[in-house]
Parts: sequence; C-alpha cells; structure tokens
Amino acid sequence: MSKIVSITGAGAISYGMKQINPDVVPAFPITPSTQIVEDFSKFVTDGKVDTEFITVESEHSAMSACIGASVAGGRVMTATSSAGMALMWEMLYIAASMRQPIIMTLVNRALSAPINIHADHSDSMGARDSGWIQLYSENHQEAYDNLIMAPRIAEKAGVRLPVMVCLDGFIISHCLQNMIIEDDDKVKAFIGEYEDRHSVLDIKNPVSWGALDLADYFIEHKRAQNIAMKNAKDAICEVSRDFSNVFGRKYKLFESYKTDDAEKVIIAINSIAGEIKEVVDKLRDKNEKVGLLKIRAFRPFPYAEISKALKNVKIIAVLDRSESFGAYGPLFTEIRTALYDMVDRPLIYNRIYGLGGRELSLDLINDIFQESENYLQKGKVEKIFDYINVRGG
Amino acid sequence: MSKYFEIRWHGRGGQGTVTGAKSLAEAVQGTGKNISAFPEYGPERRGAPLKAFNRFSDDNIRIHTSVKNLDVVIIADPTLIGNNALTEGIKKNTIFIVNTEKPAVEIKKALNINGQTLFTVPANSISKKNFNKEIPNSAMLGTFAKACEHIISLEDLVKESKHIFSKMLGASLVDKNIEAIKEGYRFGDVVYG
Amino acid sequence: MDKYELKPWQDLALGGVITQGGNSADYNTGSWRTYKPLWDKKHCINCLTCWVFCPEDAFFLTDNLKKESKIKKKISGINYYHCKGCGLCAKECPVNKKGKVFAIKIVKESK
Repeated sequence: MSKIVSITGAGAISYGMKQINPDVVPAFPITPSTQIVEDFSKFVTDGKVDTEFITVESEHSAMSACIGASVAGGRVMTATSSAGMALMWEMLYIAASMRQPIIMTLVNRALSAPINIHADHSDSMGARDSGWIQLYSENHQEAYDNLIMAPRIAEKAGVRLPVMVCLDGFIISHCLQNMIIEDDDKVKAFIGEYEDRHSVLDIKNPVSWGALDLADYFIEHKRAQNIAMKNAKDAICEVSRDFSNVFGRKYKLFESYKTDDAEKVIIAINSIAGEIKEVVDKLRDKNEKVGLLKIRAFRPFPYAEISKALKNVKIIAVLDRSESFGAYGPLFTEIRTALYDMVDRPLIYNRIYGLGGRELSLDLINDIFQESENYLQKGKVEKIFDYINVRGG
Repeated sequence: MSKYFEIRWHGRGGQGTVTGAKSLAEAVQGTGKNISAFPEYGPERRGAPLKAFNRFSDDNIRIHTSVKNLDVVIIADPTLIGNNALTEGIKKNTIFIVNTEKPAVEIKKALNINGQTLFTVPANSISKKNFNKEIPNSAMLGTFAKACEHIISLEDLVKESKHIFSKMLGASLVDKNIEAIKEGYRFGDVVYG
Repeated sequence: MDKYELKPWQDLALGGVITQGGNSADYNTGSWRTYKPLWDKKHCINCLTCWVFCPEDAFFLTDNLKKESKIKKKISGINYYHCKGCGLCAKECPVNKKGKVFAIKIVKESK
C-alpha cells in the first residue's frame, strides 16, 4: 500500500533509491546532496538493500566507478551537487557517450565563487550539453516520481542514456513535507529487472569499451547519440503514461498550468513553479488570464510541443535561475528558439532570479505578471533581459 | 482557517528547535493535514540564534519561501527576548508561545507587544523534572495544542507523538515525553490580547 | 563485404563498444615499414629473444619436432603484415651482438 509520510526531499530520494535497490552506488558527499548518500549508506549497512556501496575519494572517481560498474552490467545510481558534479565533468560526457543508463540525483546548488551552498541551476544548466537526460522536479513528490521513472527511461532500447534527476537544494532537499511513498513491490514491478548490454563480465563475448574514435567514425557515433536523445522524448512520455496508469499521478514533458486560455505566461523550472501557481490562482480570481509552463524535461527539449502549447499566448516571461554570462539565460534561449516557427509569435523576455538561493517572493512574481501587462499594452518589450530582486537594479 | 497556517520558531543552535518544528509537523500530518517544516538554512552554530518555520494547510502546500504571514511565533529560548527579530512581521492576531519561568504579563512587556495573545510555559523546568535535562520541545508542543486546538488537539498530539517519539527516541523515553506534553498543556500561563 | 568498410551511424554498435575480440590483428602495421628485418635460419639459435621483444608479435613460432631437445619452440619466419620495421629484434639478437654473423639483418625496404 502506498503511504503518506513526512519526509525531506533528500529522504524521499534515498528512500526511492532503496526501493530501486541498485547493484552499485559509488558516491562522494557534498552539500546539499549529502543526506541522500548518508541515508542510503545506512540502508546498505542495515542490509535493507543488496547494493555494493563504493566510497570514493572524489566525485571524478564516483562517476568513473559508476561507468565501470555500469559496463560491468550493473544498475548504477549516485547523487551529487554543484562543485561535485563539476568535478565529474569529464566522466559525465563519457557516461553519456558510452550510453550507460546511470541514474544520478542532482541537488541543484550554485557554483563557486564566491562559495555558496544554496539553490540555483548553474550546475545542471552547465551540463546540458553533456548528453544526459535531464528531468526537473518542483517538489518532493515529483523528485521521487522522477527517480522511480528514471531507470525505465534510461534503460529503454533505443535510448540507453544516463538520467539526471534535478531538485532544488535546501528548498526541497532539506524541507520536511508530506508526500506519497509507493509500495515497495509495486515500485519494483514498475522498474523491472535490469538488462545489461555488452557487459565486460560476459567472458564468452569479450568486448572493449571506450576505444579510440578518430574523424572517420566520431561524428557517426555522435549522430547515433543524438537519435538516442530524440528517442528519449518518446520514452519519457511512454514511461510517464505507464506511471500514471500504475500510480495515478500524471506527468508530461512539461506541465501547463492554466495556460489554455492564458494571455500572460511565466515559464520556469523546479521549486519556484509552486510559488508561481499560487500567484496564478490569485490573479485568476481577479479574472486575469495568466498561466505557468513548468519545464520537466530540459534534455531532450520539447520544442514543438512547447510552441504548440503556447500558440494562444500573447506574452511570455522566462525565468532563469542560472547565468550564461554574455548570453541570455539557458531556458530563455531554448524557449525563444521554440517560438521562432510560430506564425504569431508572442512577446517574450528573460529575467534572472534566485541565484545562490535568493528568495523570489509572491509579490515579486506578481510584479512580473504586471510587467507583462505593461508590455502587452505598449505592444513591445522594453527590457528583454534583466535581473529580479538584486540591489542596485 | 486561511489557506496556510504559518509558524515561526526562534531558538538557538543545538537546542533542538528545528527538531521541534519537524515533530510538530509530523504530528499535525498524522491528523490528515498537509505540512511543511524547514529551518532558515545556513551553517548551524551551537548557541547562535536560528529560525525554523512551519506551514499547515488543508490544501497542497506549494510555497517554500520563508514564512511572512505569522499565525504563531514560538520562542524556545527565553534568553532571545529583546531580539527584534522575534516580533518582526507580526499581525494583530499572531499568537506567541514562549518558554519561560516568568509570568506572562512580564514577558508581554519584555517583548513589547500590544494586543497579541501570549502563552507562556516553564518548559525547561518541566523538562528538567521529567528527563533531568533541558529539552523544552515536548512541553512546548503541549502548550501549542492548548493555544491552537483547531490545528491539533491534545488528544491527537499525544496519539501522534507516541508514534513519532518511539521512532525517534525509542520506547523508554516515550512516556516521559508524553507526560511533558501534558504538563506543557496544563501549566501554561496566558494573557489574551 | 569488407569487414572494415566505413559504416553509417545506424549500423554502429552501442556507445562505440567493440564486440569482436582480437580484431587488432587485422590492422596492417606492416605498411609503416621503411626498414625490413631479414631472418637467417642458418645462424638463428632459437633463443626467442626477438619474439619476446617484438612489439607487434610478428615472429612466427613452430613446435620443435626434436622431442629430446631443450628447445621446445623455434622461430619459423616473420609476419610482414604486422612487422613495422622497428629493428628491436636485430638490436636485441644475441647472435648479432657477438658481431661475427647476423641472425637478423636490417635492410632498407624496397618497393
């Protein structure tokens, strides 16, 4: 039976990992993902899982061990944050390019300097071209549900790519909240047995992994990887449908919250979507046609689906919780690209918010809708790019 | 109740204030409400003033920002009185719950509040009597049930706390904590606003 | 069909995995050769030093048919598909080192 529990976001993830019972978890602790690894190591010590838990001396080694264990035919998971993932950088690409279906929870945290331990998305956004599937989570429930869906998506034939499950550091990872934890056996049945591909431990069929690839083959391998990511989009939809059939909660590539007849829409990622929904409801009570589009899959990015969902919208504010210095925010550039082929393109602008954990209050979100209204009346966007809630403007 | 019932806790690092907020949330969740509990994040230093927050609601809790619409302020350490942060953002009907050995009238004056209802509880001495240690949480939870019966009744608090404490502390300490909750409910002083 | 014909991306193995063990033997390192070792059976003492040092495993070995001999394996020739002409064999050959006769002679490759 499923049960309602009070649990932190980190606790929900480690509990989900326990239910998945991976073969190998190599991990190195870093705030705010530490609790996941700590809880999970306790499950290992208490004999609650069959997992081989590998303590390593750095995150580079953690991901290296993940790749090694994965090519040895195991289902592999890990968790990290910020600088931890930055240290994995080289191995992130290798994991994806060697098509290993590793599952990593990334508890989003700012990158140094100055040192900051709080939520922003510079870590995962920096890794958006590494070839990992990226799923984002608004709250505890979504983080847990994404984690339960991740192995099925990653391991699907035609995909075989690693998945990064992202959730906001502290805001979700350390907050105690009630959520539904599903039954162990039901989760186990949903995930199914792991099927390895070309395991190095299959001594009757010897293989070499990670060989040299020169200009005569490299681009063909990348082309194949690109198609795998394209297939991942269908896999996410299919697994999400199965998930809702079994567990009842519905997920798509993105969530459209009251966008059907909306004129003004905010597009955002992760926990801030909760606050935006709250403001949308308040403005809807005053008959304002506002809505939220919340991204779940950032890689693969659902361009066509998003432009279809926004076809009646008049103005869009895209909120980025990370910087791409010298360029617009990463979410903004994707959304703007998605809109280019529309006949009647809506107005669009970009706001950077919440870097290093700065709160974005309901009032400030309300102000964004107000700004959209002003631009709508003038018929043009005056400031395409700006920061919100920063001293000095 | 309005959409979110919101609480701010004031304590010092190492006194279990965050645990207090979490225990209360778990107990309230047991009655079927939606809950959240979270500290003001940052490096926790023993003795340094800290805040923790609760939100309770019949609806899904969708917001994560620090609590601004205060229904209750809980002061777990009386030595914090005098700190302006305690009364920041309070409303006319904010309820104060203060761990203190002093009479409520005196604390009201010290907090410099006007019109708000104030509950006091000698949680340290209740705790000392029951555990021979100053862990004020259980007694303060009892006073909370007295002040906010519509959120959780004493009966429900005792019932839920039995589960929580046996999970957290082991069976031997459950009875003592339940006793502290009951005494916190009984021995509180109050001045109405 | 040539096993090493360049394939389109659709036909590639997952993630660049190599599923044919030992396929490095197909690689014609002999094409790199500018100097060529010539093995002289007459002077060879079958110590197998050349075979040990050869980085490409280019010396052919056969069983010694004389069962009573201490020498179990004999050199029987050079695999010029793999020999890249590095000259290590001639340099390490103990017969060559004595300097009277040569068991392995290095000559310029002539095409």
